[in-house]
Amino acid sequence: MAAKGSVVAGHGHGGSGNRKRRRGRGQAIGGRILFSLALAAVLAGVLIPYMWMVSGSFKSSIELQASDVTRPGLEPSWIPRQPTLDNYRNVNRTVRILDYLQHSLVISTGTMVVATSIALLAAYALSRWAFPGRNAYVVAVLSTQMLPGILFLIPYFILFTWLRNQFGLQLRDTYPGMILTYTSFALPFAIVMLRSFLDSIPVELDEQAQIDGASRLRILWSVLLPLARPGIVSVAIYCFIMGWNEVLFASVLTGSHTRTVAVGLLEYITAHEARWTMMMAASIIVSLPVLVLFSFMQRYVISGLVSGAVKG
Amino acid sequence: MPPQASARPEPSRARPGFPVPVPAQPQRRALYKLRRFLVRMGPAYLLILPAVIAMLFVHYIPMAGGLLVSFRDINLFAVNRWYEAPWVGLDNFVAGLDPSGFLGARFWRSLWNVTYFGAVTIFAGYVIGMGVAILLNRPFPLRSLVRGLILLPYITPDSVAYSVWRFIFQARIGLVNMWLMKLGLIQEPVIWLVGSNAIYAVMVAAIWKGWPFAALVLQAGLQTIPRELYESAQIDGASRWQQFRYITLPMLAPVTRMLILVSILWNYNAFNQFYVMLGKDPGPSADVPSTLILRETFSTFNFGVGTAMSVVLMIVMLLLTMVYLRALRAAERGQA
Repeated sequence: MAAKGSVVAGHGHGGSGNRKRRRGRGQAIGGRILFSLALAAVLAGVLIPYMWMVSGSFKSSIELQASDVTRPGLEPSWIPRQPTLDNYRNVNRTVRILDYLQHSLVISTGTMVVATSIALLAAYALSRWAFPGRNAYVVAVLSTQMLPGILFLIPYFILFTWLRNQFGLQLRDTYPGMILTYTSFALPFAIVMLRSFLDSIPVELDEQAQIDGASRLRILWSVLLPLARPGIVSVAIYCFIMGWNEVLFASVLTGSHTRTVAVGLLEYITAHEARWTMMMAASIIVSLPVLVLFSFMQRYVISGLVSGAVKG
Repeated sequence: MPPQASARPEPSRARPGFPVPVPAQPQRRALYKLRRFLVRMGPAYLLILPAVIAMLFVHYIPMAGGLLVSFRDINLFAVNRWYEAPWVGLDNFVAGLDPSGFLGARFWRSLWNVTYFGAVTIFAGYVIGMGVAILLNRPFPLRSLVRGLILLPYITPDSVAYSVWRFIFQARIGLVNMWLMKLGLIQEPVIWLVGSNAIYAVMVAAIWKGWPFAALVLQAGLQTIPRELYESAQIDGASRWQQFRYITLPMLAPVTRMLILVSILWNYNAFNQFYVMLGKDPGPSADVPSTLILRETFSTFNFGVGTAMSVVLMIVMLLLTMVYLRALRAAERGQA
């Protein structure tokens, strides 16, 4: 541990020169090896489940069913014995995962657009007006984050049922209903995050624009929006991913018209049949949009997530 | 951290005052004050209105409704006319909480399960996260790539990650049993996902999914520690362990406090990992409140009892939230 630290720090920062002299060369190499081993262990721990997922997605279901950990020679293998693309080709055959993908795409995009716009307006108010009740409002918004989702779910379901029977307003298993639900889930975090981004923009810019005769909304649109773009992008991605990943409400409020991938994925395993290989193929397909979005904007999202998490 | 808005001059205050001279009559003055207030602050209320409406509809109204429903006898047939369902006082709470009854016993057991689950996963996640954060705090080739890679579990959708772990924990075709057999630790394949082993399987998966977030937050915290502290400690001859014990840990205390408290609150919402890995009914030894309440509500259609149990869960979490907010304030005071 000790040697590892000094060696690696020595590369980047000049501060440890004299300590390096005190330590022997052998120790330095030993430290480097230890460090590499630790790093390799961490990466292996992270990556092994993904490798197993990828490997499983290329196995034929017959091969998987025949494998058995108790029989030497028949253990499940890392490299598929007869690699096949059938799982990807037939991914939609037993479970309508492509439909679910489309549902998720609509719901997540809708949530992203609606929640980001609403949160931007609220964050603008929180950042630029010291209105009475501001702090109470922030507390009220944040406190919803800490309450169990299951608590809302039951009365929310009853509310949906009641609205349908009383006013013919169908919200369950519809896009607007799901988008509204997820928007509300995304709002607290989105508002807090966007507010901190807007707070970092000097208020003098607003005043300048105001002197030039710009309206409040015009200031938001033409002055703040371009400057807060990284923050807005990261909030938008957060909202999208939230809608993509949510399970609890989706399991109750979605039906055949709006079932999302997060819930639909589980349909590969039924009481009668476990289609693991197809499920792994579908898992890869389902993860791709999130991974792509995330790697695309990793820097923004991380800084946003950290500041949001640290603030609660 | 951006400066607080209140620390800067407010744009509304910086604007020239309302041009109308102040009228003499007190009534008029009140009206004038109101108008002045609306002109100044009205836009702010309009701007938060959409957010307020959305959250009212999804969060606050259902929450209030939930409190009412928990005192009524509501089943599948009464759900359409829930407002006419008979009041039953505390019956739902008794049914849901009485430890000698079937449901009550399951409920207390599920609260214990989720607490045990949280204690293990949060502690392990924090320790691993801290180790990796320190490991990655030093420059080495490809560091940013490694930092991105370790975030993979965190950003992978819950249902995907836990499905893969469910696959890994399968008895006959699973990776875990294969390795344990090869190492000679077990003679027979272990049934992981049913019975008393299930909660440990979910713990492993949840730790794998959770530690990257701890590492992420702790990495950000490590970067705020001034390098000079370590340099002067080295001059004083402090060992690596002493530096960690007397510099790193205390400097990370505020971040740690936040992280642990947020994790505790999230933990009581735990649902996805149990639902995806173990299904609707994880069995008594791995049941958590969310799965139990969901079953009671949407399989047994006992809305009243389900709501009563979720109200109790909310009270548990409210108590935790109060602790959380208090700690937050203390941490902010400490930083200032």
